[in-house]
Amino acid sequence: MGNFVINWAAAALGCGVLWLSAGCRKPAETAPPIKIQHEVAPWPARVGAATITLKMSDAGGQPVRAARIALEADMSHPGMRPEFGDAMEIAPGRYRGRLSFTMAGDWVILMRVKLPSGQKLERQLDVNGVR
Amino acid sequence: MSGESSTFDLLRVPLIGPFFGWRHARTFLQIPTLIVGIAMIAHGLFGPTLAPKNLATTVSWVHFRGALVLVLLCAGNLFCLACPFMLVRQWARRWFHPRRTWPRRLRNKWLSAGLFALILFVYELFDLWSSPWWTAWLIVGYFASILLIDGMFKHAVFCKFVCPIGQFNFVASTLSPLEVKVRDQGVCVPCQTKDCIRGRRDESGLVTIQRGCELALFQPSKVGNMDCTFCLECVQACPHDNVGILSRPPASELLTDPRRSGIGFFSRRKDIAALALVFTFGSLLNAFGMVSPVYALESWLGRVMHVSHEAPVLGLIFVFSLIVEPVLMLGLAAWLTRVWAGSRRATLPLIVRYAYGLVPLGFGMWLAHYSFHFLTGMLTLIPVTQNAVAGLGRPFLGEPLWTLTGVPTRFVQPLELGFLVLGLAGSLLVTHRLAQDEAEAGAHPVRAFIPWAAICLALWAAGVWLILQPMEMRATFMG
Repeated sequence: MGNFVINWAAAALGCGVLWLSAGCRKPAETAPPIKIQHEVAPWPARVGAATITLKMSDAGGQPVRAARIALEADMSHPGMRPEFGDAMEIAPGRYRGRLSFTMAGDWVILMRVKLPSGQKLERQLDVNGVR
Repeated sequence: MSGESSTFDLLRVPLIGPFFGWRHARTFLQIPTLIVGIAMIAHGLFGPTLAPKNLATTVSWVHFRGALVLVLLCAGNLFCLACPFMLVRQWARRWFHPRRTWPRRLRNKWLSAGLFALILFVYELFDLWSSPWWTAWLIVGYFASILLIDGMFKHAVFCKFVCPIGQFNFVASTLSPLEVKVRDQGVCVPCQTKDCIRGRRDESGLVTIQRGCELALFQPSKVGNMDCTFCLECVQACPHDNVGILSRPPASELLTDPRRSGIGFFSRRKDIAALALVFTFGSLLNAFGMVSPVYALESWLGRVMHVSHEAPVLGLIFVFSLIVEPVLMLGLAAWLTRVWAGSRRATLPLIVRYAYGLVPLGFGMWLAHYSFHFLTGMLTLIPVTQNAVAGLGRPFLGEPLWTLTGVPTRFVQPLELGFLVLGLAGSLLVTHRLAQDEAEAGAHPVRAFIPWAAICLALWAAGVWLILQPMEMRATFMG
């Protein structure tokens, strides 16, 4: 009985390791050379609503138009509710969205961009010390 | 003295009792925790770098800590029972047979109390809650430490003398309602074999077929949960089926000072008292690291000390909170107990004796803090797990539901205050009982109680103030 349990445990552990090791591969790099400049208002960031303005340009400095941008703000501590929003194009290559910093601390804004070509890219913006 | 007690016995409960009585129950519980531990390491090292998206940080700092304190409150030290590190040690000991004994000068809680404080310090300094990578390495470090120490030294040295999580559990479980205990002392009196501590060997006497208690707790004279990992080896070993998991009033073991098997007298153990103080004052310090005023204090200290690095500033805060503050507060109370209440005990024995009285308050603060994270973020385990599975390229759990979080803060805060009130009540009860006993040392009981009650109230007020502060999660220093 003892050996059975040990063997079963070892098999389960091996399966777990295999299952996890499959996830260790790096995702394919699909991000095109897009430059994203950002502004957060008000600055320094405060608890409450914030406006995120993004300026996107390609490798040649031309504005990137008609992109779809989803915003997500996360606390640096796990277990907190993320905030979501979309950034809309307000001028060629300029996008604006609103998010809410629901508490003080360090926040991270994730920008998920879908380009007109269908390509996707993700960028991260640290907003530290929200008061 | 014989005759079974009429208290509740978990091992007599249908299904649950036979399960815990099963020889492989511990292994059965350890396997899932080990798999989760390995998943946390893998995800911490190779998964998303953002803490709220990673299993290592989410499970460690939201779910594990919260579930740990709630299980300790409602049952007992069941997490040591299901400890995955022990399972790895068991497997390793199939090949490694330690021959050495732990050095005598380290057979106390000084090292583990220091490591406990060090973990709290490292947690703040490296902002472990925001770093999946560091959190994963902390778990790896734990596995490595246990393999190294228990690979070299006999018995459960790591659990008894080193493990900071274990020490937390030992101190907190003095407040638990369940205890591994002899059912009928009369059955133990004629027992010659004492399998509960010696274990059993085969007929050749060379092969151990059942271990006894590796933490040197002899069941008939074991008192309380200190040092008990709920491994249930004694339950398996007892040939008379005389060891159960019995109910008892929480904190009852703090009210008296009998000689305890494997421990001795609480009142003579300065090391355990120091551990109890790190546990109590550390609870406030750990919560203080999560509220806005700590950053103002750090900035001010940084300017005064002319330093821009966090380590010396944080070190100063830790030294003050875990050494200076307890020594001043308890020293003053002990002095008043001698001078004003007339106790004939010396100052240090008084501090040692009453340090245990603050444990309920400390546990109340840990409960308030960790249950907050657990309850407000309990559902985040779902999207994080979905995300981890999706990261493997097989999103069979669906797209992550990131909007799932937990109980709204406004519902959790009254619960936090309730835990603190419970802790205060427990500490007042214990210190009052200790003050009553002070009459034997010639003291006026009421006067002996007042200074310690004042400390309880001051710490409780500090806890309430902390809970009512706006939370601020920052990994930046003076930023």
